[in-house]
Amino acid sequence: MNHRIPGIAALLFLASTCAAQVTTQDLVKPDPKNWLSYSGSYDSQRHTALKQIDISNVASLGPKWIFHVPGSQTLEGVPVVINDIMYVPQASGVIALDARSGRLIWQYQRVPGSRGHNRGLAVYGNKVFTATSDAYLVALDTRNGGVIWESKLAGQAVKYQGAAPLLVNGKVIIGVDSAVGGTVDAYDAETGKHVWGWHSIPKPGEKGIETWGGDSWKLAGAPTWLSGSYDPELNLLYWGTGQPDPDFDGDGRPGDNLFGDCMVALDPDTGKLKWYFQFTPHDVHDWDAVEMPVLIDASFKGQPRKLLLQANRNGYYYILDRTNGKFLQGTQFVKKMTWSSGLTEDGRPVVIPGSAPTVQGNKVCPSTAGATNWPSPAYSPDTRYFYVIVQEGCGLNFKASDNFKPEHLSGYSDSGTSYTESTEEQERWQLFVRALDVSTGKTVWDYEQIGSHHYGPGLLSTAGGVLFAGEQQGAFTALDAKTGKPLWHFNTGDLITASPIAYSAQGNEYVAIMSGTNLLAFGLPEHQ
Amino acid sequence: MTQSNRTLLSAGAMLLSSTLAVFAQQAPAPGKTANPNPFNGNEQAIMDGRDIFNRSCTVCHGKDGTEGDRGPALATPGRRYLRTSDSEIFEAIRNGIPGTQMPRAGLNETDAWKVATYLHGLRGTAIDAPAAGNIEHGEQVFWDKGGCGACHMLHGKGGLVGPDLSNIAALRKVNSIRDALTKAQHSVSTDGGRHDSALAPLSSYLSLRVTTRDGRTITGVLRNQDSFTLQMLGTDNVLHVFNRDELREVVYEPKSLMPTDYDQRLTPDEFQDLLAFLSRQGHVAPAPRPRAEQVIQ
Repeated sequence: MNHRIPGIAALLFLASTCAAQVTTQDLVKPDPKNWLSYSGSYDSQRHTALKQIDISNVASLGPKWIFHVPGSQTLEGVPVVINDIMYVPQASGVIALDARSGRLIWQYQRVPGSRGHNRGLAVYGNKVFTATSDAYLVALDTRNGGVIWESKLAGQAVKYQGAAPLLVNGKVIIGVDSAVGGTVDAYDAETGKHVWGWHSIPKPGEKGIETWGGDSWKLAGAPTWLSGSYDPELNLLYWGTGQPDPDFDGDGRPGDNLFGDCMVALDPDTGKLKWYFQFTPHDVHDWDAVEMPVLIDASFKGQPRKLLLQANRNGYYYILDRTNGKFLQGTQFVKKMTWSSGLTEDGRPVVIPGSAPTVQGNKVCPSTAGATNWPSPAYSPDTRYFYVIVQEGCGLNFKASDNFKPEHLSGYSDSGTSYTESTEEQERWQLFVRALDVSTGKTVWDYEQIGSHHYGPGLLSTAGGVLFAGEQQGAFTALDAKTGKPLWHFNTGDLITASPIAYSAQGNEYVAIMSGTNLLAFGLPEHQ
Repeated sequence: MTQSNRTLLSAGAMLLSSTLAVFAQQAPAPGKTANPNPFNGNEQAIMDGRDIFNRSCTVCHGKDGTEGDRGPALATPGRRYLRTSDSEIFEAIRNGIPGTQMPRAGLNETDAWKVATYLHGLRGTAIDAPAAGNIEHGEQVFWDKGGCGACHMLHGKGGLVGPDLSNIAALRKVNSIRDALTKAQHSVSTDGGRHDSALAPLSSYLSLRVTTRDGRTITGVLRNQDSFTLQMLGTDNVLHVFNRDELREVVYEPKSLMPTDYDQRLTPDEFQDLLAFLSRQGHVAPAPRPRAEQVIQ
C-alpha cells in the first residue's frame, strides 16, 4: 500500500546527513561566540575573547532573561552554547534553550525527579553528552533531544555522577567515582562504546601499589569528580584526583596513597598514565586535587615553558611543567596555614607534626572545605593574573577512633569521620576573589565578598578587562580585572555556586550564570 | 502575527497537542516493599488477567476497566485510588471492600493475582503491560511500511521532526499509543484540572513557514513561541531562533504531520505487531536512590 510521507518530514529525513555542528577543530579553537565545554576551552583559562562588554560600559549591564530549571536544587553546572542554542545540565537531564531569549526548546530527563548536582556537558558533532545519576552516559541529538545512545558507565558500584565530560579526539572522557576508587573513562562519541579506563587506585603489581601499606589500597578513594583540561599539541589530558579513603583517618593506610590528590597526565587515545604529581601525599584533610588545571604557555624564570597552574584545596598555588609534570614552584595563596611549613624542592609539603585530625577535633587552616574548591579559577593573558575564589578560615577535623579498623567503615563513617567550621570568630570562613601574579603567586589584589563564606562561584575573565564573579550570597558582580574594583552587581536572589560563561548571539555579547534554581543571562542595553 | 493567525494557531495547537510528544515524565511511586505478586510484569499473566477481568468484573467496572454501572473506572488518569499496590488490589478482589458494593470476586488466588497484574498494567505505562504481537515484525513495519522512522528517532536512528520514541513505552499507555496512530483527535493522559507547575516543552509539532524581514524563507516545525520570540526546527535540520520583529510573516499549517490512519494503511497483523514493538520501547525508570547514598563532594 502506498502511503504519504508528509513533505516537511521527507525533507528533514533527506537532510539528516547535514554537516556536524561541532568538530574537533572547533573544540581546539573555539569561536568565542560559543561556549563548548565546562571550561569553555581546552586550556581551562575561562577567558573569553569577546569584548563588547568592557570596563567602560559594564555598569549598564542588565538581565536579558531568566530561566527556572524545574525540579532542580542549587545548580552548580555550566551550560554550553552552540550557534544561539544553549544546553543546560541538570540532574540526569539536559534542557535546550534559545540562547537569545531563554525560551525552552526541548527537555530530556532520564531519571524523573532526580536530585543532586550535574556540573556540565560535552558536545561533538550533533550530540550533547551527559552523565546521569543512575550512572549512564547519554548522547542526545542537539536538535531534538532524542537519545542517540546510552551506555552504562564502566566500573562497579558507581557512587555519584555529576562530573562534566570532556570531548577529546572523538572520545567522551569522564571521571567516575566508585566503591573501588576513581576512574577516568573514555567512550567513543559515535557509538558509546567504552574505549579505555584509567583507575586511580593501583592494583597489586601496578605502579603506585608500594605507596599503600599492606592491603590498604582496598580502602580506595581518589575520585575523579570534576573535569579536566587538554593540550592538543602534546596530546595530553590533565585530570585531578581526590583524597584517598577514609578522608580523615590515615592510620589504616600508611604511605603516600597514590594516585590520591594528584594531577595526572593521560594519553587521551589509550588512557596510559604519562606523568603524575601528588600535591598532598597521605592526605588526612580531604583536600581533593580536582580543582581545574589551567594551561598557559609563558616565560618562567626566563624560559618559555608549557605550564600547568593549579590553586589547590590545600592552600598552595602550584606551577608545573605540563610536558613532564615537573614541579617548578609552589606558593601559599591563603593567609593562614597551620598544617604545612612549606614545600620541598620537588614540591612535597613539609607537614607540621600534630596537624592531623583527632578524635577530640584538631584545628586546621585552611579548612577541609578548602582554600579553594571546584568553583573554577580564571586566567587573563592581558593582565597575566591568575584569579581564584579563596576561602579563608579554619576548621576542626575529627577522626572516628584511635584504633582504625576497616570494618568500622560504613555509611557516613566511610569518611572516617568529619569536619566543622572553626568556632573562633577570627577563623570563620570568608570568601575572597584573589588575583595572583601568575609567575610569583603573590597576591596582587584581593576582593572580599562580604557575608559569603562557603564554596562560592567560579570566575570568568574577559578581553573587555572585566572579571565576572558571583557572590555566594547572590550578587552577580563585575570586577575590574586589573584592580579588583567592583564595577557592577545584580542581586540574583539566590545562592550562587556555579561558574559564569560568555557567548554571543546576533552580535550581542551575553554573560550567563546559574543561581539557585535559575539560569540568568545578562547583556548591554540594545541601543547603546 | 495577526490575530487571525493566533486563532488559527491555538486551534491547531489544541488539535495537535495530542501527538505523541510529551517529554515531561512522572516518576512512578516506588514500592515501599517488594511486590509479592508472583506474576509481576508477566506478559502472559497480563493477557490472562485481562480475559478474566472481562469475564468477571465488567458488570460493575466496564470492559477493560474503563467504566461501569456500579463501580469506578479502574485506570483513569489523574484519579486517586485508595488501593494502589498489587497486594491491595489482590486483597480487594479476594475479600471485597467492606461498606461498599464491591463483593468478593470469587476468583482463586492465581486468577486474582493475574487480574491484579492486569490492573497494574492498566495503571502503568505500555512497558508495564505491552501489547501482544510479533515484535520483530513490528520493528520492520516501523522502519519500512509504516515509514515511522522518517519523522521519529529510535535509539539514535531516524528523523528529527517528531518526538524521539526511544522511551515511549515508559511514558504512554498502549491505548494512548494506539490512539496516536489512529485518531486525529486523541487525548494525551493528563490531569484535566491540574495547574501547570513549570514551563514545559511544546507538546505539538506544528509545521510552519516563516519569512524574515531580509527575505529568507524557512520551513520547519514549531518548537516553542511566545509573544516576542519563536523557536523552530528547520527543514535544514538546524534549530532556528527568532525575535518576532525579525519576521515578516509566520504561516502555520493547521494540520498535524502525524498520519492517523495506520489502522487502514497497515493490515491488522501489521498494526498489532507495530503496537507490540512500540509498547516495548523504553526503560522502566529506576527508583530514586536514598539521599544518603549520594556522595556529594
